Amino acid sequence: MAPNAEAMNADPAPLRARPVLSVVSDGPQASALPCADDLAALVSAVATASDRQAFALLFKHFAPRVKSYLMRGGTPDQQAEDLTQEAMVTLWRKAAQFDARHASVSTWVFAIARNLRIDAFRRAGGGQQAAFDDGFDLDSLPHETLSPDEALSSARATTEVRVAMRALSADQVQVLRLSFYEDQPHAQIARELGIPLGTVKSRIRGAVSQLRRLLNVTP
Amino acid sequence: MTTIRHHPDDELLLGLAAGRLPTGTALVVAAHVEQCAHCRSQMRDLEAVGGVLLEDVEGAELRPDALVRTMAMIDAPSKPTSTRVVAGPPPLPVGAQWPKALAGCVATRWRWIGPGMRWSRITVPWDPSANMFLLRIAPGKYLPQHTHSELELTQVLYGNFHDGRAPFGAGDFDAADPTVHHQPVVQDGCECICLASVQGRVLFDGFIARQLGALVGM
Repeated sequence: MAPNAEAMNADPAPLRARPVLSVVSDGPQASALPCADDLAALVSAVATASDRQAFALLFKHFAPRVKSYLMRGGTPDQQAEDLTQEAMVTLWRKAAQFDARHASVSTWVFAIARNLRIDAFRRAGGGQQAAFDDGFDLDSLPHETLSPDEALSSARATTEVRVAMRALSADQVQVLRLSFYEDQPHAQIARELGIPLGTVKSRIRGAVSQLRRLLNVTP
Repeated sequence: MTTIRHHPDDELLLGLAAGRLPTGTALVVAAHVEQCAHCRSQMRDLEAVGGVLLEDVEGAELRPDALVRTMAMIDAPSKPTSTRVVAGPPPLPVGAQWPKALAGCVATRWRWIGPGMRWSRITVPWDPSANMFLLRIAPGKYLPQHTHSELELTQVLYGNFHDGRAPFGAGDFDAADPTVHHQPVVQDGCECICLASVQGRVLFDGFIARQLGALVGM
């Protein structure tokens, strides 16, 4: 791996509270994974034929990962279990909306799980009545849809992103992982990287801009 | 469509992709992403990072009957969704759109706060701590000079203003922290509508302006 400017400018590696998890593995685990096309074919079988066997394979692959994602973010076990099942039901019901040109199955499932986690937070927040009698309900706003040409131009293979992430420094990968997996990402990034809270934002920006540079040189 | 010149930074976009932003911040950034094809494309790359991380995470143990229960939910007849009759949001000028990110929120009617200045409080039912509002300022009018105790995020939905630092037009996003001391002036010819989220307080200069701030709870 070529050293990059960001890594060379980085502070000397501080002692870390816990070891860096291998988040962009290409080891034995990776070879056991179904490839992106296989997963897309399974989703397609669910969409077109309500194929339960295909769904069971998707469940086996994604459900434990979704639950793990939720629990690492602080969702208690039972709620993580419920939300995971809900996520998989959503996968079944929305399979026809999945578009492999738009995103990989993993990215799509991640987005489903992320949105359900936010929805759960919304439900927990309850529906306090607004303190106004002249309020307009904005519930009638339509849901976001992607224009067709955008869907076409947006294919970014997960493999491409994975390759780019392998070229990031360990700290940069850690910054991204904590941003997605921690409930209080800034505080956790400061702790694990041993940096002041005030410099976390610039570390995040540095990691993302390096990722973007790498993605933009990937053919 | 005008060119969008001001975008949320990578830290905010990553936070939105990860689903880890405070409510008000998330809604304003999401409103920007709806209007901005460039940021939508950035978001998709960042969501793909989420996909890679999901692939690589070590799975947690599920209940033994998790798949069976999930299949049972799939087979259960779907509950009829309640068809609540809701009033549409207050009308906006032709060409302006309510951000879809605000679905589920409640907006007040336009309220007068000064000559040529109206505002609408946005309530987020699931998070009362979110301090959000729309401002609707007539051509040639300006907000009092002010700064912010923490962070003020603004998404221009319609029209344009200049705040002494730069021009802002429809689709532009701005994050102003305590180092920014500005006085947005709406350009002649077109009113301006902005969605704003404020953490902390907006600190107006001058006694009258402070009264105004207290009035609208900013």
